[in-house]
Amino acid sequence: MADAPTPYERFIQGILPENPVYRQLLGLCPTLAVTNGLQAAMTMAGAVAFVLFCANIITSLIRDLLKPHLRIVIFTLTIATFVTIADRFLAAYMYQMSKTLGPYIPLIIVNCLIICRCEVCASKQSVVHAGMDAIGQSIGFAIALGSIAAVREILGTGMLFGVSVLPEVWPDWVVMVLPPGAFLTLGLLLGAVNWYGMQKQDA
Amino acid sequence: MKPIEPMEPMKTSTLDRIRNNYIVQAWLVLFLAICFGGSLAGIQLALGPLIEANKINETLQKVPEMILGSDKVQKLPEDQKLIIEPQTIEVKKNSRTVFYNVFKAKYPNGRPAGWVAKAIGQGYADKIEILVGLDHKLKNITGLFVLDQKETPGLGNKIITNEWRNQFITKKTETPLSVTKEGAKAAHEIDAVTGATISSRAVCSIINTTIKDLRDPLLNRAN
Amino acid sequence: MGYIVDILLIAVGAALINNFVLYYFVGICPFIGVSRKVDMAFGMGCAVTFVISIAAFLSWTITTYILKPGAPLSKWIAGLFVSPEMAANIDLTILCYIVYIFAIASSVQFVEMYVRKFFPALYKSFGVFLPLITTNCAILFACLTIMSNVAGVDNPADAWDLGRSLTLAVFGGVGFTIAIVIMAGIREELELCDIPKPLEGAAITLVVAGILALAFMGFTGVDSGLKKALTPETPETVQVQVIHNDQSLASSGNYIFQ
Repeated sequence: MADAPTPYERFIQGILPENPVYRQLLGLCPTLAVTNGLQAAMTMAGAVAFVLFCANIITSLIRDLLKPHLRIVIFTLTIATFVTIADRFLAAYMYQMSKTLGPYIPLIIVNCLIICRCEVCASKQSVVHAGMDAIGQSIGFAIALGSIAAVREILGTGMLFGVSVLPEVWPDWVVMVLPPGAFLTLGLLLGAVNWYGMQKQDA
Repeated sequence: MKPIEPMEPMKTSTLDRIRNNYIVQAWLVLFLAICFGGSLAGIQLALGPLIEANKINETLQKVPEMILGSDKVQKLPEDQKLIIEPQTIEVKKNSRTVFYNVFKAKYPNGRPAGWVAKAIGQGYADKIEILVGLDHKLKNITGLFVLDQKETPGLGNKIITNEWRNQFITKKTETPLSVTKEGAKAAHEIDAVTGATISSRAVCSIINTTIKDLRDPLLNRAN
Repeated sequence: MGYIVDILLIAVGAALINNFVLYYFVGICPFIGVSRKVDMAFGMGCAVTFVISIAAFLSWTITTYILKPGAPLSKWIAGLFVSPEMAANIDLTILCYIVYIFAIASSVQFVEMYVRKFFPALYKSFGVFLPLITTNCAILFACLTIMSNVAGVDNPADAWDLGRSLTLAVFGGVGFTIAIVIMAGIREELELCDIPKPLEGAAITLVVAGILALAFMGFTGVDSGLKKALTPETPETVQVQVIHNDQSLASSGNYIFQ
């Protein structure tokens, strides 16, 4: 128990060193699907942050009562409930965005990121640890989604958040907002992050 | 030293048997299930009506624009706002029954303003859903809005742009619309989107079918 | 005849045009993780297809009879406690995500028991990947698509029956298998190539997947072409018209746009 990460360490780890998308390769489904616009990407990041935070807190509160063979059932139940709540809230208050995100909000339930955090951190450490871990991972996820969405939106439509940032002469690389562009962007950005990590290791 | 007496095996007491029962071990799951179920029911009660209203408003908000045009709608004074009546019209074609959602719009003094019909048809990639506005006698098209489409971005996608859709306003409904690539000359011709002839043709054919199907029922109803 | 055409279009759509992996981005985790060897990939594809079919069957049945607005079984049970008019309005769709994920977990459990009993060697070679199918987005995605076509349509006559739902599920799995096997074949060749170090592993897989997705985009429009080719052009006669006001909306009086 002496090596268990402190809340601050959990927070910092989540942002870049243990970034959910670039390092752990978790939650790739929403990463590819909703990143054709920065607004959609940020909404998805917000929804995941909400679900991750609430699920972590609840799991941490009941961590002493968890039986080993039933814990996955309890994690799933908790996550599914909070995802339903998030989905209803989006449909009620941001209807257009909810239609754009479509089936990818319910797919947060099977997002490996959340179950992984519940298993690794929340079921073993206190509420404060779990909360900071959730916040750190959410920020990391948002950074990852934001970077991919920015690249795709700027190259694909010349706009960012619906506002034109590139001059009129830019021929929109439409493929970037289509599925192939998602794969290519994530693959190349992942390569870039790996390269940066290797540089730091050699230095 | 006194020999230690062998211990007797413990009888499984009823308390232990209860503790090992599956249902009791799952008490946490059941308790959580009830709590979460209750909270979800609460969410449904609180947000359900809001979501329903969102779904309906999405279409209803477009109706006055379809009939009068967007700039006229902005200038409409409060007491002249249109009253909208939703209706469902069932049309039997060969052996299929097709449902149309039609909105009848009237001025507050009872004078009819026009009709807006929601129609779905097959586009190039997937279904295209449109709202087409018609005047009261179904002689002219007064507006077109694309509610849902999954056409190719950058090409077929352009059917949602204002410039392409504005071609349809004031087109007459007697002759079916057709799509040309060179440049619309005759009154019933529409300029296709460059590189997206199939998507343009799909929209025109949906409009033509809708007008053909709804002409008789709506005119009979137009009293 | 129209039914067969419908089924064919759904099948082609799910397998090729709107491929689960390369268009909808569901099922990416096993796509990257398991696609090193062709036989392993094929086994995973078959397992996923099997699980999707069972899960789709369960979710269609539960949605049609219990969850959708006005479903028969819930209406009957509620009718025992409250008046029939109130019971007819019962709408349990808010529970659908929870119900689906548990249906999927049960299907995976069932498949696991079946494989362990009848194909023990296969079970060992799968290892930890078999229970991980529970978190495969593709299965939940298939269930959600079925739900939106059963409970989310405006017109009750358009709701999907069991045949269409199972077709979507099975051919979605077939599409997943096609994609993952192609990727495994490519990766087997890639191992002999000189890949830059930063791109090794997941990064190059994603880039190759991007090129694959580009290739599969060529299938767009095949379904509308097929539909045109297969439906005979009969002159349509408009026969009977029945007109009725929409009670649910009109009951709030005339909707006056504010």
